[in-house]
Amino acid sequence: MPTRSSSRPEDLLSSPDVLDTIIVAETPEGILLELRPAGLTARLYAFILDWIVRLAIIYAAAMLASFVGGLGIAFWILLLFALEWLYPVVFELLPSGSTPGKVAFGLKVVMDDGLPVTPAAALTRNVLRAADFLPFLYGFGVASMLSRRDSKRLGDIAAATLVVHHVPAAARIAPLDVPPVVPAKLLAPEDQAAVIALAARAPRLTPERLDELAALAAAVSGDAGGTGPQVTRRVLGVAQWFLGRRA
Amino acid sequence: MTPLAFEELYENEWAELETLLELLAGGRFGAPAPGEPESAARAAALYRRACEQLALARARAYPAYIVDRLERVTATAHRLIYHRREIDFARLRRFVAAAFPAAVRKHAAYVAVAAAVFLVPTIALGLAVYRSPELILSIVGPETVSGFEQMYSPTAASIGRTRDASTDWVMFAYYIRNNIGVAFQCFAGGLFAGIGSLFFLAYNGAFGGAVAGYLTARGLSSTFFPFVSTHSAFELTAIVLSGAAGLRIGRALFAPRDRTRVQALIEATRDAAVLLYGVSAMLVVAAAIEAFWSSAGWLPPSVKFGVAAACWTAVLCYFALQGTHAD
Repeated sequence: MPTRSSSRPEDLLSSPDVLDTIIVAETPEGILLELRPAGLTARLYAFILDWIVRLAIIYAAAMLASFVGGLGIAFWILLLFALEWLYPVVFELLPSGSTPGKVAFGLKVVMDDGLPVTPAAALTRNVLRAADFLPFLYGFGVASMLSRRDSKRLGDIAAATLVVHHVPAAARIAPLDVPPVVPAKLLAPEDQAAVIALAARAPRLTPERLDELAALAAAVSGDAGGTGPQVTRRVLGVAQWFLGRRA
Repeated sequence: MTPLAFEELYENEWAELETLLELLAGGRFGAPAPGEPESAARAAALYRRACEQLALARARAYPAYIVDRLERVTATAHRLIYHRREIDFARLRRFVAAAFPAAVRKHAAYVAVAAAVFLVPTIALGLAVYRSPELILSIVGPETVSGFEQMYSPTAASIGRTRDASTDWVMFAYYIRNNIGVAFQCFAGGLFAGIGSLFFLAYNGAFGGAVAGYLTARGLSSTFFPFVSTHSAFELTAIVLSGAAGLRIGRALFAPRDRTRVQALIEATRDAAVLLYGVSAMLVVAAAIEAFWSSAGWLPPSVKFGVAAACWTAVLCYFALQGTHAD
């Protein structure tokens, strides 16, 4: 999960071997925000859910309108218009930045620089749906999303918006009940981070897999070539030491 | 410095910033909370420090949860600090008083092309169908034709009848949905290098022209023209403007000049959004007039033509003159 082997995300991105689709937006303060664009599948699910929500509203309103008559029908047509064009615009401008369907699938719409979507962008990206929809069933939109790393449809390209995944917080490293172990060799910060990341993952791995992984790093505790629960405890102990725990 | 020492050193700052951000985000839609300016200034200072600490944490490859927490808190702060609140009353006033007409004048060339592409088929088809009314069948089906004939027939009294209020409201809603849909289509068509916009403009122009020519040839002009003259001041101009907005983005794709194509498209879309706001507002006005004024059959045509002339003059003067002193 959220392991970082490099301190600079832009280095990672420029490397052709990396399959990640993370997009890095730089703030005026010079820090880099990582955005994780949502792919076709996640967005399709969200779209279908939104579509069902809208359909349900329209059917419910139609039943009410048929009781009320004249003005009810006028209201119903206006509602139809609002659901067609304004539903996504209004929801995307709320602080959550997402329609109910997107909320359900952990997606939100942001600008390319990671800021909340502006009213102009929300309007244009949704009006340009009309172009994405062509020639049929969002053909151009889907083609655009599949051919781009950032999965933008045409409306997103023009409005400079991005649909991103909401990323859950990384788990805090639980203080394992292993005593800190003084490392047997000096490690570069990146390698220290890798050992610490192993400790962070430890609670989620099966003991066997943890032993296998720890065996790879056994050199740090001076147990090169060794394997088994004892070695694993010593490697995790080194991770505690790197974190800053001292006996 | 070990990760734990780093965390311990700055923990208080991060916690304070997180609390402040929650407070500031909460008061976003209401009135500013008491003490908001001070806490905002404090949050900005803490945000800058958190940015430095994040850079340090990344450079020193601190564990993911520390970097993650800093990323989260800086991202939230960044969002709050740089968020543009675009909708307020002063901005709306400025939009009507200056920004919208100025945007139309700025895009005068696109508006001229869009108007030509819309009007030439209107006039050509209007004349052609007026001369030989059977040509209308090549544009619309026979049912639609007889529908139009019924709508504007003076004997059927459909237009002369005083409709009840709810019918007016139904038509209002229908016109909004229909016309804004057409306008949005004209705009979105611009994404295909402007060709879609040109097509929808010409198509809608040809359709309107053909209907007008046909009804005139059938001797129904005395009901048709009083009906359409007033709201068309808003409706036709809005359609032309949305087509112009589409042409603006089409042009950006076709000839991006010294930008990349995507960059040119983004800038064009931002420009076009201003036109799109105005177009939507104009179409709501047009729908209201069409539903509540144009359909009022008890008004003599002379009154309607008088009001129509006033509306056309007002609309054209608005675009030509409004806000010019501020330019």
